[in-house]
Amino acid sequence: MLAYILRRIAQSILVLLIVMLVTFTLPYFQVHGILAPAYQILGVHATPKNVAHWAAQNGMNHPYIVRFWNYVTQVFFHFNLGRSYKQNNSVWGIIKLYVPRTIWLALSALILTIFIAIPLGIFQASKRNTVFDYSATGSAFVLYAMPSFLLCMLVLDAFSFHWPHLPSSPPGGVAPWAMFTNPVGFILPVACLTMLSVAGLSRFMRGTVLEVLVQDYVRTAKAKGCTSRRTLFRHAFRNALGPIITILGLSIPALLGGALIIESVFNYGGLGIQTVTAATNLDIPTVLGITLLVAILTLAGNLMADIALGLVNPRIRIEGAGR
Amino acid sequence: MTDATVSPEFAVNAMVVDDSPLKFELDPGVAAAASGGPTGSDVGDEQVVTMWKQRLRIFSHNKLALASVGYLVLMTAACFLVPLIHPTNQTNQAATFGTVWNAAPSWHHWLGTDSSGYDELGRIFYGGEYSLILGFLAGFITIVVGTIYGMISGFFGGITDTIMMRIIDAFLSIPYIFLLITLIAIFNRSTVFLICIIGFTLWWPNARIIRGDALLIRQLEYSQAATSMGGGKLHIIRRHVFPNSISNIVTVATFSVADAILFLSALGFLGLGIQTPQTDWGTMLQLGTSQIQNGFWWEIFPLATVFILVVVSINYIGDAMRDAFEVRLIER
Repeated sequence: MLAYILRRIAQSILVLLIVMLVTFTLPYFQVHGILAPAYQILGVHATPKNVAHWAAQNGMNHPYIVRFWNYVTQVFFHFNLGRSYKQNNSVWGIIKLYVPRTIWLALSALILTIFIAIPLGIFQASKRNTVFDYSATGSAFVLYAMPSFLLCMLVLDAFSFHWPHLPSSPPGGVAPWAMFTNPVGFILPVACLTMLSVAGLSRFMRGTVLEVLVQDYVRTAKAKGCTSRRTLFRHAFRNALGPIITILGLSIPALLGGALIIESVFNYGGLGIQTVTAATNLDIPTVLGITLLVAILTLAGNLMADIALGLVNPRIRIEGAGR
Repeated sequence: MTDATVSPEFAVNAMVVDDSPLKFELDPGVAAAASGGPTGSDVGDEQVVTMWKQRLRIFSHNKLALASVGYLVLMTAACFLVPLIHPTNQTNQAATFGTVWNAAPSWHHWLGTDSSGYDELGRIFYGGEYSLILGFLAGFITIVVGTIYGMISGFFGGITDTIMMRIIDAFLSIPYIFLLITLIAIFNRSTVFLICIIGFTLWWPNARIIRGDALLIRQLEYSQAATSMGGGKLHIIRRHVFPNSISNIVTVATFSVADAILFLSALGFLGLGIQTPQTDWGTMLQLGTSQIQNGFWWEIFPLATVFILVVVSINYIGDAMRDAFEVRLIER
């Protein structure tokens, strides 16, 4: 198991290096070259001398290879993601302010998703082709086909303005514990994010459980006299757990992407809003830093899913140890 | 809205569930490859026609899928033809000063006017042109690039495959919307660039699915038979691997189109979509929902219905095609 985990970690670091290489190289393809942000920051009337000075200040007067080497060593050995062009702060400082807020949003939605999507999938599979199954599938289809911001706006309009009970925005302060001051404010954004990810996952959950329900061991369990509930939870659910864990690990990018839209709609300052602002201002270091962080979160999610898979499924554990 | 579209990353797992080697045994390529000779390929061609006919028959038994195709064709035709028959002003802001802004539906403006005074019904068709063209072209790019990449990776295997797959892992670990925003910040925002950028962002999972197919087919008997008869790698990809994974490619392409339309709408919401006075459905919905509290329902719900139905029908067509291509379900 340990060898398996170590191999997966090494793989993740390699993937991370590729992410860094790609995201670091992309700004060189800007329409006005790597110095395009200079004109954005200094204004259109910047003289070549100003631009050269700005480039020297931001370490851009080195060749590409040297810059990339510095970037990688700084990130890996000093946890230094560079300095924002636009905000008077280091990128890590910006991330430190906003990442707990995004993680809080995404994590609450992920936990709720697990508690809703899995029972829903099992229930749909065991009651397949009934009115309930059709209506659940149908609503997931529609929810999935809806632009996520449209759903959020409709929910916001309904529950915050027409039945004015719920606050339309979570607490806004960036102090570390400010987000816990008014938990009611999180109901709408978390509910929206959960709905979106349940819509994305429920069909898969149903498919997975259905696939397990036609297996021979389920038939055997029924034949030896298991009650249908015991068959479902004792035999079917435990075997469906593997694919479900994998899919939850893989759903992290979708969850973080959804969080970006949710943050914009509910005006909740997090990484998403920061990304959009930084991108429109050509604040390249901030965009790169946040992209890298999101990639790390995704890879960590996949890694944890793989480890959890090894824990619930002895076959993988043994196979991994064998190698 | 099946496994392949839930979020394209999931598709890898979906593939494992869906693909049975049986599928390929029934394929005409097998017969052609096995018999080898020129007559063999003639027989093969004849069977191709009947196989596609068979698939078409299964597809047409699905009434909801036919309705989806009908709706999609109707909507596309309307977007491109109605503005020709009944032109409305959609680009000239100066000319809208004569009209009432946010006017409720009336005999003159069937769905009212929007916050800039443009006729809402005409604008749905006008924005639809951009959304549909962008969606279909971006979907096309994802599938062409994904197929080529996946075929090369899966067929050559070994170190090539490992490197190519790690690159895909890297891109899949960045959520699409973050990658899209980064790309849009870096490149400019013209319509052509938007198509390329959305295509570039969404092709990675497709490449992975098709690579899985290629990997599987490469190991099947008929591919090995072709190799033993001296078939070159390119020949085998072209004559055996590609024809036998075409069903998967078409299905994946369908879901990509729906995803591309959805991502374009998300960009429209963030203000990074098509720039005024041109518009697309996402930008229009953003404009409509931004004043949702004023009760201008005509700026939201008609378009939302049209939009959701378009995406639902594209996804449903993809589902139905997968059913039709699933050879296990075909009774012989």
